[in-house]
Amino acid sequence: MVRIPLFRKKKEKKVEGREGFSEALKGVLYGFAVHGAATAALKTRMHMEHLFMLMTLGDMLGFPIIPPYYSLRILPYVVPNIKAWKERLFRERDFTDLLSG
Amino acid sequence: MVGLAEFFERKPNVEVVVFAGKGGLGKTTSSAALSYYMAVKEGKKVLCFSTDPQASLSDIFERDLYGKGVVEVAPNLYVVEIDADKKIAEYQQEIKQKILDMYGLEELPKEIEEYIDSTSAEPAMYESATYDAMADLVASGEYDLYVFDMPPFGHGVRMVAMAEILSAWVDKITEARKEAAEYEAVAATLKGGMQTEDMVLKELEEIRRKMTTFTELMTDSERTAFFMVMVPEKMAILDTERALEMFRELNIEMSGVVVNQIYPRDLLNKPDLPDLLRKKIEMQEKHLIEIREKFGDLVAALIPMYDREPKGLEMIARVAEDLMHSRRDLLWW
Repeated sequence: MVRIPLFRKKKEKKVEGREGFSEALKGVLYGFAVHGAATAALKTRMHMEHLFMLMTLGDMLGFPIIPPYYSLRILPYVVPNIKAWKERLFRERDFTDLLSG
Repeated sequence: MVGLAEFFERKPNVEVVVFAGKGGLGKTTSSAALSYYMAVKEGKKVLCFSTDPQASLSDIFERDLYGKGVVEVAPNLYVVEIDADKKIAEYQQEIKQKILDMYGLEELPKEIEEYIDSTSAEPAMYESATYDAMADLVASGEYDLYVFDMPPFGHGVRMVAMAEILSAWVDKITEARKEAAEYEAVAATLKGGMQTEDMVLKELEEIRRKMTTFTELMTDSERTAFFMVMVPEKMAILDTERALEMFRELNIEMSGVVVNQIYPRDLLNKPDLPDLLRKKIEMQEKHLIEIREKFGDLVAALIPMYDREPKGLEMIARVAEDLMHSRRDLLWW
């Protein structure tokens, strides 16, 4: 896949004049054109991550999906995700969920 | 001619032999006898493997082998009796240590620790640990022949069924993982970020590789032989029929049936034979004929009833001879 250099981090050196303007324009264009797509991709990825967590560590929440012998091998890599995963699964839902997906 | 020697002449490439069947009918004895014969008489390097602490190889070889690792009990004959509980505990400790090291933690988060500890209560954990140990041993390729004394849960064939389920599961999550990685790559490309290497995917692929290699070996009838051990009794016949059905469903070829604890037929000619024994032998005759009708050429070996328990190398040698070249006076048909 081709990499589109539309997004720069803040730390990069300050640019002025025309160059600064073009940078700002790039930012605006990124916002208009692909920010939505990037966010959607990330959101889908998050959903898949949750699904994956459920498939591997389902028994942590009481879903006996697979013998935990093999899910234990994956556990170390997903330790940082467990908290967010549980919070998302157990979170109460309301109508704003419909708006944010 | 009945006897396992004939089977091994027909299938010289067999690397794995599995004895399955109900508990207490002679699986462990058959495993020990075959291992002894192949190691001592045929000069092959043999590993005899058991996970069952009840009917144990320790008893048969008259040495404490449980949880002691691989022990050489006779020239070329190696025996290992896995302590599954100990193996599970070590495995859990290893996972805990890995988490501590990966994140530089002093102690584990409470819920993670509780989760890891709770897994030992899972009955499937025991089977998985056993299966994993078997796969590791075979993968090492150190021995010419592996003889597995299957634990009596289910028919032992459940192990193979489980391998298929696990393999399908790994396939599915690998797929999900790959798809997730793609979305991450898309998002990263759009934003100009970097993609991280997915260790989880690597781990999953390794688990799958190990399982498919082992399942392929177990279902290859040229390299793996499955024998059901039974006795001439109604229950054992029914049980073996059910097992045959299960084997068929799993696409595994059952290599044969070993019939154990048979009384020699000429005993009936003795005039002073006690009535109890006569009745018992007549009952065996009926069942043996039924076995012959139901299983036909699958009857691979006949082992007699001995005057004492088959324990110690001397007795094992005797059983081995009967297992490989069955006695003619046990043929009731």
